[in-house]
Amino acid sequence: MDNPLVQVNPGLAIWAIVVFLVLLFLLRKFAWGPLLRFLEAREEKISKSLDDARKAQEELERLNRESADILRKAHAEAEAIVSKSYAEAEKLREEMKQKARADADAIIRDAKSQIETETGKALRQIRSEIADMSVMIASKLIQRNFTKEDNSELIEETLKQIESGPRPN
Amino acid sequence: MWMSAAAQEHGGSEGFNAGETIIGHIADTVEHPIIHLPKIFGIDFSITKHVFMLFFVAILVFTIVTWIVRRYLKQGPVPTGAGNALEFVVLWVRDTIVQPNVGQKWVNTWAPLILTFFAFIFTANLIGLVPIFETLTLLNHWVFHAGPDTAFYRLLHGGTTVTANFNVTAGLALVTFFAIIVAGSKAHGFLQHWKNTVPPGFAWPIYIILIPIEILGMLVKPFALTMRLAANMTGGHIAILAVISLVFLFTGMFQTPWAGIGVAPVSVILAVGISLLELIVVLVQAYVFTLLSAVFIGMVIHVHH
Repeated sequence: MDNPLVQVNPGLAIWAIVVFLVLLFLLRKFAWGPLLRFLEAREEKISKSLDDARKAQEELERLNRESADILRKAHAEAEAIVSKSYAEAEKLREEMKQKARADADAIIRDAKSQIETETGKALRQIRSEIADMSVMIASKLIQRNFTKEDNSELIEETLKQIESGPRPN
Repeated sequence: MWMSAAAQEHGGSEGFNAGETIIGHIADTVEHPIIHLPKIFGIDFSITKHVFMLFFVAILVFTIVTWIVRRYLKQGPVPTGAGNALEFVVLWVRDTIVQPNVGQKWVNTWAPLILTFFAFIFTANLIGLVPIFETLTLLNHWVFHAGPDTAFYRLLHGGTTVTANFNVTAGLALVTFFAIIVAGSKAHGFLQHWKNTVPPGFAWPIYIILIPIEILGMLVKPFALTMRLAANMTGGHIAILAVISLVFLFTGMFQTPWAGIGVAPVSVILAVGISLLELIVVLVQAYVFTLLSAVFIGMVIHVHH
């Protein structure tokens, strides 16, 4: 064929193959290889970082949930403690009140009974003393030599005295 | 620049031959290589313009990519500037071209090949749009005055776009062809790879038809890659050159340079438009070659029957 555009030239084709293969070899060794490895390493790093970030986020959420839980529990516990102590205080107050009342009652009762005992004792003493006095008066009267009129007058007076004073029994 | 180059070569005394000029700007310089080398087994290994451009593109790609990568790796985890751009391209190729086709297991095995395909073809395509040698021709005309026998003078002739030469694209497609075999053998073992090429479980007469079809399909894949890339690259260049040629054709037709000057704005606007279109084609063709290579490699790794 005359047309130089369609001339077969195996030399050129072989040159093309050789040049291309040499270029391929060199680029692979010095450019594409290192570059592709770098890109892959970077992709791995990025996906790992994203993964780590996601994990950290999850961990954070978990911790948040946990702390909220703990807070809620603590609140409930505190409330329980407060209400329990209220109730206990109330109970204690009630108990003390009752004990005080009982004590007071007991004291009053004791006092009353003591008063009664003392009163009885006093009366008994007074009575015995009156009797002694009467006996003494009577003996004194007997020892003197009374006239008839004197006798009756003295008896009269003594009786009046006894009647006007507080009577025993 | 194209205009000036064409003017320098042909726009002088004799008539202007658009066809010859255009071919001169696209074809390889097989007849007048830059450096003559002896033939080995009847194959001419002389350094022609396109061989030179292969070297040039390869060195350019290697230098730029390696430089950016070295800087990128030094930068640490947050890249900036060119490293960022390269990272974007590499990730795009790896994640949208290689990974979906060959699968996660084989990404790192085949990503370098696909990346090299993309970088090399894209750069070669793109350099074809930059009129380096037309500029040098102009400089030679006015400044250097290198004689026609010097290597420098011979360097100025011929097409700049290696990927517009189907010998080159055939070489690249052959790489894909063997990469497919290597991929299949690596994934399934050498013998199993060849067994995988035809679906199992049919009666033997079916295979008489199937096996030739599969072999044909195996050969058609690289052939399609070859033709698609070369034809696309050639087509755009021819269009640009043809539009620019209008200037000289009009000059010749009306026997006055004013006709050429008059049509020049139209030519320039059209050439700029086609060049913008070419920018897209350059990227798309590099992408298509790369993607199809990845698809073919993926097909033998994940055999569907």
